[in-house]
Amino acid sequence: MSNTQLKYKDDEQAAGGTPAVARTITVAVAGNPNSGKSTLINAIAGTRLHVGNWAGVTVEKKEALFEFGGRKIRLVDLPGTYSLSPYSQEEIVARDYLVHERPDLIVNVVDATNLERNLYLTVQIMELGIPVVMALNIYDEAQEKGYRIDVKGIEEMLGVAVVPTSATKKTGLDELLKRVLDVADAGAGRAPRKLSYGEDVETAADYVAEALERNYPSLLERYPKRWLLLKIMEQDGQVLEKVNLPDQGFLEEALHHLKRAHGEDIESIMADVRYSLASGLTREILEKPELRQTELTEKIDRIVLNRFLGIPIFMAAMWLLFKLTFDLSAPFGEWIGAMTDGPFKRWASAILTPLGAPDWTVSLVNDGVIAGVGSVLVFVPVIFAMMFFITFLEGSGYMARAAFVMDRTMHSIGLHGKSFIPMLLGFGCNVPGIYATRTLENPKDKVLTALLVPLMSCGARLPVYVLFVGIFFPNNSSTVIWSLYIMGILLAVLMGLVFKRTLFRGEAPMFIMELPPYRMPSFSSLCVHTWEKGKHFLFKAGTYIFAVSVLVWFLLNLPWGVEHKRDSYLGQAGAAVAPIFEPVGFGTWEAASSLITGVIAKEIVVGTMGEIYAPKHGEEKKEIPTLQEDLKEVVTSFGEASVKAVKTLLYLPQPEEKEEDRGGLKLAIQGAFTPLTSYAFMVFVLLYMPCVVAIAAMRQEFGTWKWAGVGLLYQTALAWGAALIVYQGGRLLGLGG
Amino acid sequence: MNLAKLKPGQKGKITSIGSIGPLKRRLMDMGVLVGEDVKVLKVAPMGDPIEVSIKSYNLSLRKKEAEGIAVEVAG
Repeated sequence: MSNTQLKYKDDEQAAGGTPAVARTITVAVAGNPNSGKSTLINAIAGTRLHVGNWAGVTVEKKEALFEFGGRKIRLVDLPGTYSLSPYSQEEIVARDYLVHERPDLIVNVVDATNLERNLYLTVQIMELGIPVVMALNIYDEAQEKGYRIDVKGIEEMLGVAVVPTSATKKTGLDELLKRVLDVADAGAGRAPRKLSYGEDVETAADYVAEALERNYPSLLERYPKRWLLLKIMEQDGQVLEKVNLPDQGFLEEALHHLKRAHGEDIESIMADVRYSLASGLTREILEKPELRQTELTEKIDRIVLNRFLGIPIFMAAMWLLFKLTFDLSAPFGEWIGAMTDGPFKRWASAILTPLGAPDWTVSLVNDGVIAGVGSVLVFVPVIFAMMFFITFLEGSGYMARAAFVMDRTMHSIGLHGKSFIPMLLGFGCNVPGIYATRTLENPKDKVLTALLVPLMSCGARLPVYVLFVGIFFPNNSSTVIWSLYIMGILLAVLMGLVFKRTLFRGEAPMFIMELPPYRMPSFSSLCVHTWEKGKHFLFKAGTYIFAVSVLVWFLLNLPWGVEHKRDSYLGQAGAAVAPIFEPVGFGTWEAASSLITGVIAKEIVVGTMGEIYAPKHGEEKKEIPTLQEDLKEVVTSFGEASVKAVKTLLYLPQPEEKEEDRGGLKLAIQGAFTPLTSYAFMVFVLLYMPCVVAIAAMRQEFGTWKWAGVGLLYQTALAWGAALIVYQGGRLLGLGG
Repeated sequence: MNLAKLKPGQKGKITSIGSIGPLKRRLMDMGVLVGEDVKVLKVAPMGDPIEVSIKSYNLSLRKKEAEGIAVEVAG
């Protein structure tokens, strides 16, 4: 975050008088988690939202630029926080933005059904002296509950504009934006009221103010005065470090009386004062019905969190999540794969060949570029599906319950209850698993979970197992495959414990989580959210994936015209690294080369082995379909994919798929591996570096290569070590080499 | 008596918060303050964490954290 030292002047605009109409109005949106802030922003800005990360942290940043009433508005979504204390990344990001970037005004989204706790944040926001417009959100639900809220009363007591809204029903949004413009034009004249924190606190604050004015007048120009006074009094470590006061003696004097009257812990005193303001205000403006009926949330929780039913319901929900995410998206992924493989490549050839393009160009375009684009696109359906259902789980309130049910188990290996879902999704595909870590709030939990997700054996590794198990363990195939899945889980537990004691040493992250009421998320908000994330993957992560697949094409095909794969750059690279694999039992250039291409996606190991061990001689001549036939295929096969998705969900029988003939490959592998080396090889494939897509996802999620690098290194080392133990241990036990 | 020892359905008043640093501040930011009424709603199926009602919303926390919150049983 830039540390722009904007001069802070209270009355600049009020004195200037004329608001600059052409100027873009910057609006920061702040609020509690679960206050419907995301839905509100999605409803206002929709697809104009731009999603990124706040500089240097793993916190998501959303921004939108749009016009309303002929004025340009820049909306900046601050992370959802309960407070502006300096203890979480979210809180630091939010307050640094408010203090240093000084938006023109703040829209404070407040949950009308949970006023007291939400107003606690409002009180803190008001300390900044920036004009505030309050969106009294979820107002419809509050009314249904029979709450009577004195909107005018809040306006008068706080000196802020208040607009009742319902983000899910899209009511009050225009009014909200109108008030935003009004307040922006009024400038600092609409600064919120200064709330009195009680005699003792105010006396101390005055004392600090005098000391600052005397000794450090420049500080008061750089920071909002009231906020700075209070933070210095609270001895906020982050602020004290930034303002760097050489002499803090005055502080002791200022706090002397306050501490004598209210106790030593100044943070408690301040939290108390702020909460009493929030509670007092709530009492004044909120009237609840006398008779409180049992709420829907309570009824649902009686079942969902029941001592006996809680876990089975959780399991069922997870099964459904897994099934919907992967089964629903798989046919579309296959469709995209088939399209890029078939018609797209044929069209490219049809365009390039008549232009006299040399063979290598056609091959580069087809097997490098189009295949590269294809390898990005095939992930789109699964990422979209996962984002949609995860967002639904979060928005509906079940995610918090899932964490509540699973926390005991996950905590025993140093993880958070919410880590379960990313791990589970990892079995389908590591990439959505890594993206799903965004549901975790604490950066430590988030990174640790993402580092362990790739140890879950994903669907792409299965074809490798199936190939080898079919050759070497035809009688115990399922036991052997099962053992690999279990090994991944056990190593994740082990690595979790290791990381906790090394990279993530220190205080274990806490688990203090709100269980919000169940709510039905709005469909359009789910779609906007899914689209934001999907788009992000497509363009950002897609670039890296594409680059690597083109690179692999070069490795495989250069020097151009190589007769034998052994002589390609890939073969040479394979031969160069093969000795590393000598001690683990498969030190051949063939195995090494397959592992190199496997970084694109682990199932490619099988494809490369096919090309290396059993090259096809003389491409069989096939009828090349015409453009019309191709176009027809594109459409009909999409229809077929949709039908298949529905059928899978409903468990309807599907026509058997033809199995590819791999006779030549099987024979070659039988000669090159033994049962023991094949098992070591499978262990290596299970564990070695995550595929490029997973690495790109980590880079994307954490905004740095650091964790992707850590994952790459530790996994490859782990894979080598595990394969070594399997191979050498097996030989010692006399299982043959 | 501490919050972790209350049974589901039992109510109490917070008398002190023993933990320190970020944990304490986080608890206070969530409305867990001395003098506040708190009611234990549920214990997770595996025995930990617990769910409590405070400031008219529901909060879950681990027993280890709840042990640091002293309460006076009421009713």
